[in-house]
Amino acid sequence: MKLLRRGREFVFRLSRREHGLLVETLRLYPLVPPAHHRLSREGRAPSLVESQRLLDEALAEQRAAHRRQVQAFLSDPERFRPVDNALELRLAPAEIEWLLQVLNDVRVGAWLALGEPEQGAEPPVTGDNARYHFALAMSGWFESELLAALGVQESPDWVGP
Amino acid sequence: MTNPLASVEALPEVGKEEQTGSKSDLAPAWLVICWNDPVNLMTYVTHVFQIVFGWDRQKAEYHMLQVHRQGKSVLARTTMERAEHYVHQLQKYMLQATMEPER
Repeated sequence: MKLLRRGREFVFRLSRREHGLLVETLRLYPLVPPAHHRLSREGRAPSLVESQRLLDEALAEQRAAHRRQVQAFLSDPERFRPVDNALELRLAPAEIEWLLQVLNDVRVGAWLALGEPEQGAEPPVTGDNARYHFALAMSGWFESELLAALGVQESPDWVGP
Repeated sequence: MTNPLASVEALPEVGKEEQTGSKSDLAPAWLVICWNDPVNLMTYVTHVFQIVFGWDRQKAEYHMLQVHRQGKSVLARTTMERAEHYVHQLQKYMLQATMEPER
């Protein structure tokens, strides 16, 4: 996945292999269970009950909207245009934000399904969890590519593996 | 978050943009907190802080580093309504963010 140019839209070039991986990753959406979201860890105020309900509603609406957008995204024949032996993907800035949210749902959901492991301590790949390993890796990779296109990259001051 | 960090040179103001008076003026105040996890990319967290709070890169990075190194960062001290708004926005990006009453 390579950023070709950026103006009002971001234009990416994807190999057919990368396109297939992106499609498979997006098809996994949504992966985070609705009950995952908690408004507060400590708050016991009665008003938080209503606030939690509002959060649940807002996220459910977002999930439904994102699901529709994913389906539209994947079924749009103009979305991925064949160019030579690759595909060209055009994304508006707002679409990148949307895609980041969708990809991170897949990433966090996969991580939850794998038992919330620490980095580097993921469980061995099995027939049952292979899709989550795939989702964790691919969503992270596509997120990084999109963030790099936005100019968000790791700083040299960030040290570590 | 992924990838450990080294040091933080800049220390921007921490979540004070909503604080306009004394504690009693704003009581009861709520803290918007982002908690560390090993799954969200450091670049992603930095980006989300910039989008949700409108912070510049330096301030967003400071709070991201604080989340990573200290386990959490207080992103704002504000009213209940605004805290709900921020938590909603952060959770839409799947960050582990909560609002807690100030003690």
